[in-house]
Amino acid sequence: MSAVLQVSNLRKSFGGITAVNDVSFEVEEGEILGIIGPNGSGKSTLFNCVLGQLLPTSGEVRIEGKPVTGMRPCDLNQLGVSRTFQLLQIFPQLSVRDNLVLAGQEHQGTMFSRLVGRSDAGLTGAAEQMISFFRLSHLADDQAGSLSYGQQKLLDAAMAFMAGPRLVLLDEPAGGVNLTMLAHLRERLETYQRERKATFVVIEHQMEFVMALCTRVLVLAEGRIIAEGKPADVRRDPAVIAAYLGH
Amino acid sequence: MNRLAAAAIVVATAFAIVVPFFLKPFGIYLLSLWAVLTIAAIGLNLTLGYAGQVSLAQGAFIGIGAYTTALLTQAGVPYALAFVAAGALSFAIGWLLGYPALRVQHHYLAFVTLAFTTLVFLVLRNEEWLTGGIYGISGIMRPVFFGWSTAKPLDFYFLCLGVLIALSLATWWMVRSPWGRAFVALRENPVRALSLGLDTRRYTLMVFAIGSSLGGLSGALFAPLVQFLEPASFGLNRSFDLLLMVIVGGSGYFFGPFVGALVSVLLPEWTRIAEGYYLLVYAALVMVLMPLCPAGVIGLLERVLKALNRRPGTAASARVVEQ
Repeated sequence: MSAVLQVSNLRKSFGGITAVNDVSFEVEEGEILGIIGPNGSGKSTLFNCVLGQLLPTSGEVRIEGKPVTGMRPCDLNQLGVSRTFQLLQIFPQLSVRDNLVLAGQEHQGTMFSRLVGRSDAGLTGAAEQMISFFRLSHLADDQAGSLSYGQQKLLDAAMAFMAGPRLVLLDEPAGGVNLTMLAHLRERLETYQRERKATFVVIEHQMEFVMALCTRVLVLAEGRIIAEGKPADVRRDPAVIAAYLGH
Repeated sequence: MNRLAAAAIVVATAFAIVVPFFLKPFGIYLLSLWAVLTIAAIGLNLTLGYAGQVSLAQGAFIGIGAYTTALLTQAGVPYALAFVAAGALSFAIGWLLGYPALRVQHHYLAFVTLAFTTLVFLVLRNEEWLTGGIYGISGIMRPVFFGWSTAKPLDFYFLCLGVLIALSLATWWMVRSPWGRAFVALRENPVRALSLGLDTRRYTLMVFAIGSSLGGLSGALFAPLVQFLEPASFGLNRSFDLLLMVIVGGSGYFFGPFVGALVSVLLPEWTRIAEGYYLLVYAALVMVLMPLCPAGVIGLLERVLKALNRRPGTAASARVVEQ
């Protein structure tokens, strides 16, 4: 059986700077892979290349064996790949419920049926379930922009799950979230992963979050993979300590 | 709030049906012009207000629709077919105009669409063999449907009102459908929209095309309304005027264009008492409105209603104190 995600010899250069340098890795079904590394190590660039936001200079990306290098993000999403961004990306003027309906509507019917059919694309029930799953029910009718940062972060994650993706890439989901909200977010991610057998790739700086959530960790520094393994082993790796502490 | 909006719609519709019976031909002409320009403003509101794509080309699309209708009807094509052709041609050209929007945004896109308006104006002025050049096209007849002639001002007004109501209902359906949500997503966060599976390229082209086709359909009514076309009617002034309608009425609000067009058509007439200074008065009023309420008249109404709903006691006591 092939891996859910295969990245082979991926390279991305911006002029003379190589942000991602010959990176290869695989993610098996049901795995939660953590990608860590100091600022500027190429983590987000790697995500953007995998998800079609950037065109890699060279290398290949495969989803369940299918080559998808350079495929547009919307087409990748239709293949069951979803993501969150480093900075919050919600639709602040829409209600929480509408944010979630929007997140799932393109997976319902055809473009024409979405024009002539129901205004909620038949997703109100699914949106309510997702709202309830992330414990945002009391905020369902509120404008997303009026939520607290932590609540927006939960909504951001909920949107990534709305279409029932098989592979979810989360870019710093814990960034700026307080400890209570963080524990809640982690518990929700674990529950979702367990119930849906989804596969996660998580970029994160918050080490406790990574150690608790991920089954395997990959460490990037200066665009290259410098370590890979179980969270506890990676944490003790001298190369990782050197990359983080600079000696 | 919804009940209030429904009541407002019923009253406004009744007003639009009854009032013209008490007006002189010029008053009916102004109301017809309001209905016609509202259709174009609804189209621009879709492109600009909902989807956030700045366009200074809506005046040009009225021109394309108007000239298409005039030329086809004078060539013997039935008005209904010419009307459809005006919408279809504007849809196709609008789709093409959407391509630059895939690469540039905001003021850069405004300049692209501004250049398009100038281009259309120059074609209308210079291609005399087709458009009559600066002499324009005169003698445009008002249509007859199954024996019902719209030659008289009141009849033609009801044709305009009927088309406005039909197109408003279609637009209302669209903005509350997933398409409407997708258009708002284009405005609010196209990067996230793309990652959620929205084909932002297709939706951008579609919103440009639909907005432009409403401009073209507006032009298809404009031609028999004024019965004489000249290129100057479809230059940058017209596009700026439509932009003003959308922004003054309330960009991104469904009823914004209705109010904006009313202000734009009627306010210059009401301020005529200031004689030669009426445009100055009009401009000053717009300048006062914009900083006070950037969300336009509908946005202002919404704010007032929200404030009243939130603190009914306070609002009531404030009125008592004033008395």
